[in-house]
Amino acid sequence: MRWLWLLGTALWALPAFGLEFSQQVNTDEPGDQDPFQVTVTVADAPQDASLQFPASADLELLGKSESSQTSFQLLNGRASVKRIQTFELTMRATRTGTVKIPPSVLTTPDGKAFRTDALTVRVSKGHGGGSPRARPPSPFGAAAPPEIDVDEDDTGSQVEVPSRDSDLFIQATVDRPEAFVGEQMTLSLWLYSRVDLTQVDPVSMPKLDGFWSEDLESPSTLAPQSKLIHGIPYRAYLLKRRALFPVKAGTFEIEPAEADVTTGFFFAGRKIHRTANSLSVKVKPLPPGAPADFSPANVGRWKLTAEMTPQEVELGSPVTVRLTAEGLGNARYVALPKLTAPPALRIYDPTTSEKLTLLHGKVGGQRVQEYLVVAQQTGAFTLPALTLPYFDPSTQRYELSRTEPLSLTVKPSAGGSSQRGSSGGATLTTARNVLTGGGIRPLRDQASFRRARGPLMNSPFFFPALILPPGALLGLSLVGLLRRRFSHEDAGTLSRKKARAARVRLSTAQTLKASGTGQAFYGEVERALMGFMEAKLGIAFGGLTRELLESRLSALGVPEVTRTHVQRVLDVCDLGRFAPGSADDRRDAVLDLASRIMEGWDR
Amino acid sequence: MITALLLHALLAQGYYLPAEAQAMFAHGNEAFSKDDFATARLDFERLLEHGYGGPDVLYNLGTTALAEGDLGEAVLQLERARREEGSALDVDGNLSVARSRQLDQVVGGDFGPGLLERVANATSEDAAGWIVLAFVWVGFFALLLRRIWPRTRGVASAAVAASALLLSLPAGGVFLADVYARLGLQTAVVTAKSLAARDAPRDSGKTAFEVHAGLKVRLVSNSGKFVRLRLPNGLEGWVERSGVTSL
Repeated sequence: MRWLWLLGTALWALPAFGLEFSQQVNTDEPGDQDPFQVTVTVADAPQDASLQFPASADLELLGKSESSQTSFQLLNGRASVKRIQTFELTMRATRTGTVKIPPSVLTTPDGKAFRTDALTVRVSKGHGGGSPRARPPSPFGAAAPPEIDVDEDDTGSQVEVPSRDSDLFIQATVDRPEAFVGEQMTLSLWLYSRVDLTQVDPVSMPKLDGFWSEDLESPSTLAPQSKLIHGIPYRAYLLKRRALFPVKAGTFEIEPAEADVTTGFFFAGRKIHRTANSLSVKVKPLPPGAPADFSPANVGRWKLTAEMTPQEVELGSPVTVRLTAEGLGNARYVALPKLTAPPALRIYDPTTSEKLTLLHGKVGGQRVQEYLVVAQQTGAFTLPALTLPYFDPSTQRYELSRTEPLSLTVKPSAGGSSQRGSSGGATLTTARNVLTGGGIRPLRDQASFRRARGPLMNSPFFFPALILPPGALLGLSLVGLLRRRFSHEDAGTLSRKKARAARVRLSTAQTLKASGTGQAFYGEVERALMGFMEAKLGIAFGGLTRELLESRLSALGVPEVTRTHVQRVLDVCDLGRFAPGSADDRRDAVLDLASRIMEGWDR
Repeated sequence: MITALLLHALLAQGYYLPAEAQAMFAHGNEAFSKDDFATARLDFERLLEHGYGGPDVLYNLGTTALAEGDLGEAVLQLERARREEGSALDVDGNLSVARSRQLDQVVGGDFGPGLLERVANATSEDAAGWIVLAFVWVGFFALLLRRIWPRTRGVASAAVAASALLLSLPAGGVFLADVYARLGLQTAVVTAKSLAARDAPRDSGKTAFEVHAGLKVRLVSNSGKFVRLRLPNGLEGWVERSGVTSL
């Protein structure tokens, strides 16, 4: 394979110094995996001369670059111009062993051919250990441009050199081909050049539909970096770096960016339009299992803090509650939880601010919400803890950042005077201790336990206890009835019973002696005495006159003394019953006499 | 840590001493104050399971369920607390909060409770039973005294006996009203989130209306897995028994 190179014509070039033509190789022992450079230098080539680079079946041309330098010199009153063209050929040997690099040939229009020396390199297997040769002496001597260190990094290794415009192209790259919704991807635009640049116009960025983007770097001055791409040295200029946060899942095409680049120097400059490659990225949806109050914007690593100042205020004075989410991710859109508080605390709409930071190419920062809270009541209040659920793409798990509860003490305002103030445009109401009804009543803090039991009716004792009293009465009555019906008492027994009943009556009269009325006392004494005589004599005396009673007693053989005593007792009893008060002083005597009659009856 | 171990040991045993029951009650209250409603509810339910009931535990359980958003359980336990101790400010307050959150709004033809039910609501069956027993015992005891001991056969004993036996009659009436209300007028609360009330006691029955958690209903009759419920406005339908809980 042979290349011919027609040397450009410099209109102002004057061949004052004569032709110089040489070639050099930068190493003498390359490996068959190592590219090496062959530098061909032509100084003051004749106009329209053609240049033929070394070509051989043992060599593979990987790339070439060209640079030219022109110097102006005033010597002994004569001006001279020297134009030097340098061609750098990147080659690689196709076999091991001694490989000959054929000479380059410069042919003038008049057919004269100039040849450089042929070069020889010893090619080893793999990577060679040969020492780099010194670069060819620059025709400009000390004025030569400084050597650029070759730096082949990851970015460079990803670059695909376009088949066209390989000397100057724009490459767009993303740091990862796929990401979760809300996870940062970084888009970089690099300008790769092997020609001299004068100026790069502002980059025309594509529409980034489906992404929220944040500018990370937009250099105002171009700073070259050396990159070796497929063994070919390039100067790489970072044009723009932008963080992309996908807002929905799917596969997205990023349209190519465009820029105008001016190459060459001074009047030889030329404006070239370049279009970058397009990109395809895949955005994965967030995995299932998100907490209930999770917001899809909360992707990254976040820490939520809550702070309240002051923690003790007078009624009506405002306090500021600051919620801060800090971490890595899209800080501009991270959704903070809503501040909640007891009804006694009035919460005004918050003010929100963001501050973005860049850490190792990752967007982060903090988002702050400041709430103004005004207490409507005195007392101690607790603002509950808040949680910020977020998805961490590095662990691919949902995490929670939780704050501590905040305590606020509200004291009565001095003198109960109303206060008025404003903050954040909110006007505070007059300080009043507003005690609103409603809401859930608090729990009881003391318990008196009761054993769970059935109703009283189901207890085993209830019905027996209900039936027992009437049953007992009924039973007693029945027993009495039966006893009366089936008992066969003789006259003596009945007589003793009646006599006993008469004595009971007399003892009742004894109790009535002091407290009872005359009628009750004397009536009881009379009934006791009459009942006793009926029991002893076996006949009824009720309704008899005194005379008839006397004759009956006499007929029954009752001694006269006893009959007289009976008559006396009955007379006093009549007196006491029918003339109340007239016989009160005789109660003891009549009681004693009736008692003596009954005790002495059988003697 | 030690507290947690002690509590675990307490939960694991089958019988609680009164002091342990008090500790569990306090633990439930503390959990409630930290918005840990699930733990609080578990504590109060365990107390009930182990026989430590009463209106205080029922009220706290109902209030915890209310805070948790379980309207059916909240109304059920608060109604049970009210049934045990009668009307109380906190019980009535939380019941009205629960009712304000209920989905169902019973409209029209609210007949309200009948006389017997009103009497039963206003009185305690057990108290009425004890009063009946007391009057019967006093009355018949006076009669027995008069029978056994003639000296007590005065006017006073007769008056005591007559008064006690006469007073036992209205007390017995109240007691019977309570018993009737308990056995004949079964009140229940819908505890399922949603229940379809059908026109017949079978799954294929046409859905006439729906009732939701927290609604207090009257159970009228049973048929298999279905019960017939009646709303305060007279609307009736068959629902699955598992969705309602008797008070």
